[in-house]
Amino acid sequence: MIKVTKAIIEECARNLMFDLSEGQADLILEDFSTVMAQIDFLKNIEGVDEASEMTFPYKEHQKLLREDKPVKPLKAKDALNNSQTKLGDQIKLPKVVGNKHDQVDE
Amino acid sequence: MTKWMNKPISELHDALVRKTVTPLQLVQDCIDGVKADKGNCFEATAFDQALAEAAKIDDVKPEEYLKGIPFLAKDNFSTKGVETTASSDILNGYVPLFDATAISRLKRAGMIMVAKTTMDELAMGGTGTTGHKGNTPNPYDPERIVGGSSCGSAASLAYGIAPLALGSDTGDSVRKPASYSATVGFKATWGRISRFGLFPFATSMDAVGFFTRNVLDAGYVLSALSGHDRMDMSSSSRKKEKYETYVEKKKTLHRIGYFRAVVDAMTDPIIKESYLRLLDRLKERGFEVVCYDYPEKLLDALYPTYMILSCAESTSNNANLDGIRFGPKPEGTIETYSDYMRKARTRGFSDLIKRRFVIGSFSLLSANQAEMFNRAQKARRLIVDEMNRFFDSIDYLVVPASYGKPKKIAELSTAWSLKPDFLDNILTLGNFGGYPSLTLPLGFEDGLPFGVNVTGRIFEDGYVLGLGKEIEELTGLKDIVKEDK
Amino acid sequence: MEFEPVIGVEIHVELKTKSKMFSSAPCSFGMEPNSETVPFDLAFPGTLPVVNKEAVNFGIKICTALNMTIDRTLYFDRKNYFYPDLPKGYQITQQFRPIGKDGSVLITIDGEERRIGVEQAHLEEDTAKQIHLNDISLINFNRCGTPLLEIVSRPDMHSGEEAMKYVEAIREIVTYLGVSDGKMENGSLRCDINVSLRPKGETRLGTKCECKNLNTIQNIRAAVDYEIRRQTEILLAGGKVEQETRRYDEANKKTVLMRKKTDAIDYKYFREPNIVPIDLDEGFIYDCVHSMNKLPDQYRKELSARGLDSYQVEELLKDRDFVVYFEECLDLGVKNPTTLWNLLMVEILGYLNKNSLSLKEIKPTKEQIVSLSDLLSTGKINSKQGKDVLSEMLQDGNDPVKIVKERGMEQISDSSIVEQVVDDVLKQNAQSIADWQKGKDRALGYLVGQAMKLSKGKVNPGLAKEVIIAKIGPCGSKK
Repeated sequence: MIKVTKAIIEECARNLMFDLSEGQADLILEDFSTVMAQIDFLKNIEGVDEASEMTFPYKEHQKLLREDKPVKPLKAKDALNNSQTKLGDQIKLPKVVGNKHDQVDE
Repeated sequence: MTKWMNKPISELHDALVRKTVTPLQLVQDCIDGVKADKGNCFEATAFDQALAEAAKIDDVKPEEYLKGIPFLAKDNFSTKGVETTASSDILNGYVPLFDATAISRLKRAGMIMVAKTTMDELAMGGTGTTGHKGNTPNPYDPERIVGGSSCGSAASLAYGIAPLALGSDTGDSVRKPASYSATVGFKATWGRISRFGLFPFATSMDAVGFFTRNVLDAGYVLSALSGHDRMDMSSSSRKKEKYETYVEKKKTLHRIGYFRAVVDAMTDPIIKESYLRLLDRLKERGFEVVCYDYPEKLLDALYPTYMILSCAESTSNNANLDGIRFGPKPEGTIETYSDYMRKARTRGFSDLIKRRFVIGSFSLLSANQAEMFNRAQKARRLIVDEMNRFFDSIDYLVVPASYGKPKKIAELSTAWSLKPDFLDNILTLGNFGGYPSLTLPLGFEDGLPFGVNVTGRIFEDGYVLGLGKEIEELTGLKDIVKEDK
Repeated sequence: MEFEPVIGVEIHVELKTKSKMFSSAPCSFGMEPNSETVPFDLAFPGTLPVVNKEAVNFGIKICTALNMTIDRTLYFDRKNYFYPDLPKGYQITQQFRPIGKDGSVLITIDGEERRIGVEQAHLEEDTAKQIHLNDISLINFNRCGTPLLEIVSRPDMHSGEEAMKYVEAIREIVTYLGVSDGKMENGSLRCDINVSLRPKGETRLGTKCECKNLNTIQNIRAAVDYEIRRQTEILLAGGKVEQETRRYDEANKKTVLMRKKTDAIDYKYFREPNIVPIDLDEGFIYDCVHSMNKLPDQYRKELSARGLDSYQVEELLKDRDFVVYFEECLDLGVKNPTTLWNLLMVEILGYLNKNSLSLKEIKPTKEQIVSLSDLLSTGKINSKQGKDVLSEMLQDGNDPVKIVKERGMEQISDSSIVEQVVDDVLKQNAQSIADWQKGKDRALGYLVGQAMKLSKGKVNPGLAKEVIIAKIGPCGSKK
């Protein structure tokens, strides 16, 4: 487990692509002390470690896969109608430098 | 007070068939109600579309139960051509290109959408006070919450603005506000109603739900909404049913269970008394009522498990909200793409949402995942396994849907609860196991409503509604609208 | 100190489906920007992934060809990161339960077969395409959501040549299966290569560098070999290799640093809750496996059993159209595969190249080509005549037997007639007979030529040769 600090919280926020407003990191730090106590509580429930992780509410598998039949696509104009940052039929952004695997601290 | 919209679907349908009213008049009546709203129930309206649709309907046949009837939808349902923001600034101005399946199925049944209702921001909240339009309070007491996140849908039903409002339920977001607003709130089995077009909060628990004025209406609405959808792989391909027949014929199963821990923990004497009296009366009606010792440790685990899972899923589910393809453009100097995203997201989300995202994201980090996210997933397994053991021999869980008066808005705290009361979180059981779950009115305390909740086995939605009908008859509480004073 | 290079390869194969991995948007290429999307591809709120059956079919085919174990239940996971080419903010992939695992592929190095382990293969979706201009980037979502199969090798390779052969083998397999274009130059097959060094005898892996931007098969060898040299020099000088991502610079034939991997991003993988587990029924898997095209190695076996040498086989395998055509001709009962090979890979290929045509566009039927091949191999016509006949077939689509008849080309293979001709020739060429018997082997060719001349080119030269030798004995018999 990573120890929760204000710096870690700020880094989490940065990686989530937002800044925290003044004082928020402290509030989250307080939340975390509760969260960690509750994690400990879960840890102490009998049988929790042996249980298998549950993602879906019940076990009912799907058999249907989608047939490979394309539908009529959106017109570019419609697809980008909601975007406030475009040039012609494309999305426009400041030049993307580096790579996605760079962390996002330019 | 509107002339028609305070009535249930059943009455409106009869009036339409008898032609004592037209769909256009109903829609106009609904529009008048939306316009006169003083409860901050609405995000966006679709008046022109609604009037145009209503004008197309000449005739309603007896078997067309829902045709020509207006409805409202929580603002996290994608609605073609109607701005949809999920009450978050990050989606301001977003006009979807498509209807959610829930919307299109109601439209296909002839219903007419009139407006979109307020909610807690991105459905993450249970108070109806965190949306970007501010508080949507309780119609019975504006100083108190109506609950959330489907606050606008619950309140508008209580005000008599429409006979049906769609909501969504990840923890108890339909069933809790239904309890606080004297309405019928239903969450179907996970996978029974397509989630396509429902803005996701925590996918593995999200369910489409809705508010009606009585259980029979709920049965008809469920029949229209349910069934497999090619656009949602998690929607079940099990055969859909005519759920209204369970209500009409009072088709029920026989064993009702309650939790000893719940009864022991209840402190509100009025709610406790009403609840125990209801159990007695059910016994008198021939139901077997049994006590079940659901472990208290697992009840205490509900809140942390729910919070960790829902925060983790939501941080990923909302990663598409970056202002690039939709949503407002960030202001100020933008030098890089990450500037763009960061400014859009910093401005677009409230502090509360960011706090949840940070905690959710932290619990998913590879170094933490085993001890946080995965442990919560394991706790969920224990909770559901135990609930399924309950359902091995018992057909229904009946519990109060709320355990006291709704909180006062001024007394709300945004902090993560240190000592959560499991009673406040009991309805999350329905989401953990994907069970069908129904809240309906049980009584009033100092003029404030409280409800009772019925939860059944997965895909036994019909039987849950059937028992709901029995209870409705016992309490005599149906078709309730807050009277104007 | 001696070092052993260890190489692992990750290949992304773009699957040639009609619609995308998780949406029904069409997957065609070279369309106008952003004209190939549905709401899911732009991650509009509320849209959900729906798995493409054909992509699963293609995945199963590749995994089967790579001898992998197919998972009977499909699960998907989310890989979370923010980047403009990833609209959802996560990529749907198969981190924890890949569709295929534990396979291998055979490569041949210096005539020796080597088996390279394939750890796993997983289905995932491609990202959007960005175009970088002077100070802005443009994003086109057409490619976003195209199905990919990522194939991860075990670190079983030790040289640039092995890495190259491995990628080539995979490329060949996916193109033969018809599930991908497999073109490195246009990105339908992309590979990243991890290279590390360790002291000979050591079993632990050294620090690796990842090489990207390898857009030809040849570059793989060049980049790996360069990287081995670079890391060797560092280690010999007492330095430490740093974990980094490097790009192959084709112009300067070396790898250059892209970024150091000090702070690897945490992808926060977790199961995709929108896709409930999908049980693949045995019937579906059976159909996927049994509708697979024949693989290159199978062709290799079959064709060498029919007497083709490895050069001939490899030439045929360069283009699946040719090898399929060739085998279909074999099935029609062609008498001599080598004659057919020459016809197809020299004459017809030359004609196609000259006229920029594909094999499917030629006029003669396979039956006619087989018939021409048989006319040649049984000596009914000679190779020069064969060229003339083929040329007419390609021009007009006429039947070779008819052409031969009309042009009176048919060779004389009746041995009594050939004997008469040979007798006449021998009578007039005592000197050549003597030369032959003294050991001048060229004399035989002259005699056959005379027989051809006398018969106006119709005598079957092979037969004439046999008859002559029978009459005058072996070469050098009277030395």
